[in-house]
Amino acid sequence: MREHIQGAVHFVANNNLKFDRPAEPIPALPDPAETFGHVHKAQPQPSPKEVLDKLSTPEIKERCADLLSRYPEGQGALLEVLWLVQGVFGWVPTEGIRWAANVCGCAPAHAMGVATFYTMYNHAPKGKFMLQFCRNISCAIKGAQPLIKYVENKLGIKSGETTADGMFTILQVECLGSCGNGPMMLVNDDFATDVVDGELKMKRGTTLTEASIDRIIDWCKAHANNVPKHDVLGGTVKGHCGHPGAPGATAKPQVADYAPPSPVLAVKAEADETGATLTWKGAPEFTKIVVEKKNGSEWVAVGEPGVKDKAFVDAAGKVGDEYRMIATSGERVAKPSNVAVTTQKPVPEEKAV
Amino acid sequence: MAECVKVCTENFGKGAQDIEVYKKLGGYANISERLFNMSQFELIDYVQRSNLRGRGGAGFPTGMKWSFVPRGTGKPVYIVVNADEGEGGTFKDHFLMLEDPHRLIEGLIIAAWALGSRAAYIYCRGEFLPCIESLNKALNQAYAAGYLGENICGTKFCFDIFVHRGAGAYICGEETALINSLEGQKGQPRLKPPFPAVSGAWKSPTCVNNVETIMALPWILQHDPSEYAKMGTPRAGGTKVFCISGDVKNPGVYEAPLGTPMMTMINEYAGGVVGGKLKAVLPGGSSCAPLTAEEAAVATMDYECLASMKTMFGSGAMIVINDTHNMVDLLNVLGNFYSHESCGQCTPCREGTGLLHRILNLIVDGKGHDGDVELMQSLTGGFGGVTICPLSVSLGGPVASYSTKFRADFDEYIAKNPDHAKPRVQETYRPGIFW
Repeated sequence: MREHIQGAVHFVANNNLKFDRPAEPIPALPDPAETFGHVHKAQPQPSPKEVLDKLSTPEIKERCADLLSRYPEGQGALLEVLWLVQGVFGWVPTEGIRWAANVCGCAPAHAMGVATFYTMYNHAPKGKFMLQFCRNISCAIKGAQPLIKYVENKLGIKSGETTADGMFTILQVECLGSCGNGPMMLVNDDFATDVVDGELKMKRGTTLTEASIDRIIDWCKAHANNVPKHDVLGGTVKGHCGHPGAPGATAKPQVADYAPPSPVLAVKAEADETGATLTWKGAPEFTKIVVEKKNGSEWVAVGEPGVKDKAFVDAAGKVGDEYRMIATSGERVAKPSNVAVTTQKPVPEEKAV
Repeated sequence: MAECVKVCTENFGKGAQDIEVYKKLGGYANISERLFNMSQFELIDYVQRSNLRGRGGAGFPTGMKWSFVPRGTGKPVYIVVNADEGEGGTFKDHFLMLEDPHRLIEGLIIAAWALGSRAAYIYCRGEFLPCIESLNKALNQAYAAGYLGENICGTKFCFDIFVHRGAGAYICGEETALINSLEGQKGQPRLKPPFPAVSGAWKSPTCVNNVETIMALPWILQHDPSEYAKMGTPRAGGTKVFCISGDVKNPGVYEAPLGTPMMTMINEYAGGVVGGKLKAVLPGGSSCAPLTAEEAAVATMDYECLASMKTMFGSGAMIVINDTHNMVDLLNVLGNFYSHESCGQCTPCREGTGLLHRILNLIVDGKGHDGDVELMQSLTGGFGGVTICPLSVSLGGPVASYSTKFRADFDEYIAKNPDHAKPRVQETYRPGIFW
């Protein structure tokens, strides 16, 4: 298909149709995807049996069951299950994506779309150590590009490529969220600016330099046979009850009355010649509100404003009277509001004409 | 540098990842009778009085956001913590989660009490695996101590927190894209309305809050809300965790009250500009308009002042740029970034960011022509309000403002092309390019 239209495309691209065509053909600039190593090339896939054998271990089954119990729909766990696949293979083979779709109960095509949307899923095997360099603005200000060039020269590969011995892959990625340490890199899953006491460290106030990159690469070479491995999902959590209704979850939905009913808030009373006017803040779940007035040492109900009302007027009210309000939500009665002592309503200032 | 109250970064460097240490430092004190005697409505009112505004970038009042969540619909309410921190220059959530994961858990319990939520998801970006490990460790301890799970502290209240690892997409920081990603779909933003507060994750009411917003809650509940409100400006209370990066002596995370002058942040907290004179500051992450040195001298770090200067407060991520940099180089970096991260749903963004990126690439390659800047400006004019999410504006805004404020940098680059005065030959189609 592509070859078929190529001639026509070149004809148009070189402006053969136009009078002011350039002397030289317009060169195609490199595709950004190629420049930064996120291009997906056709990748020889392992056999389905091999993939399924590696994925049907009891540990992975247990992890999947745990993940599925967290979401109301199985598809919610898709990203995490794909992570598990990547944890096993170091990349996501097509058969692994199909397996993940099966686990989560969604269409394989959907899972494929998801797996190719996110940049952290690898669709081809990578080196043992993935050196991911941030190329975003803060790191660029502090000189990320010369450092990336330095590493590319040192390892003899370009961004997006893997060394012949399968040790290193260089990637340029977007902001790694450690701009204070920029320029910044990730070695597999570890943030690193230097090697301290035989471990990769990102210490406050340090940045990558050519010398520290040398040390990091030496550290990687020394750990070629025992690559520090993190759990892809950062470990498991014991004791959670899952999402109500999800397979394997013990959780029950939240009960409606887990909290005390809402009282009326911020009751204010102001008196003028028409009586005392009460204003308040009410919760949407109120079904009834009662206004009470203090009479000696007893509280006497004086009225029942509607739940949507904004104000209530007690015609007999005067300065110094004490009011409180009690709300009901369904069958539950809230504690009384604060006691509002009636004050004189300030006379509205007359506007100058 | 005046000593300020530390709300979120109080426990930094004290080993608060361990629950025992965290409790000794006063943690989990809120998960007590006092909280359990409060009604939902009282608690939301409490947060509203504290004037807390969302710390993720948009700055929406948190209490108001919570009050939009409908009650009694029969559907569960979800809290989703947005820890997909991808904006260039922002790195506060990374260190907040790494250093003090229990404060996030405590804040989430408070938020869950206010919203009646049964399950919360912490959507953490895939690159932050150390944070996820730290959070999972803290969650294990919190479950063992009985702060999470069924019938917390003997009440009827049940609550679970799950950590969800994202997989590398900047756009998932947008709340509806984040919800899509949580549901196991491609992280593409949804059309609003319906807003997530009404119909979000799995069509249920969902409240998406930033990590720092949730982490401010334990302090607010321990103290009076007016005390928190007092620290900031009249319209936005409290302190903010600022991230300072770029050409400063001590880049890093600093907590200061809202309304602190920008130059105080740069000179006193971050130790001043290094490598040259101050040229520009991006006050709120990579997608905001830059301030020139003169503007930075009078700016204060709060929502209103920066909005009045036609930029934005964003996530409080200050990127300081000295005069050895050409702004076109930096804009080219942003062009790469946003065109790469465009999710591809809306045509103006998918095509427009790619076009801008290509024009910027040509200019930086020394193939710029007169009129390129005007061409870019006319392109950015077509971005506003026609896309589902503001990603296109995140590039269009900087392109428009860089090219007006630092026009000389563009001219300098364009002058490198010997044929810059000739009109650019009309390009109709380029083979091998995706647009």
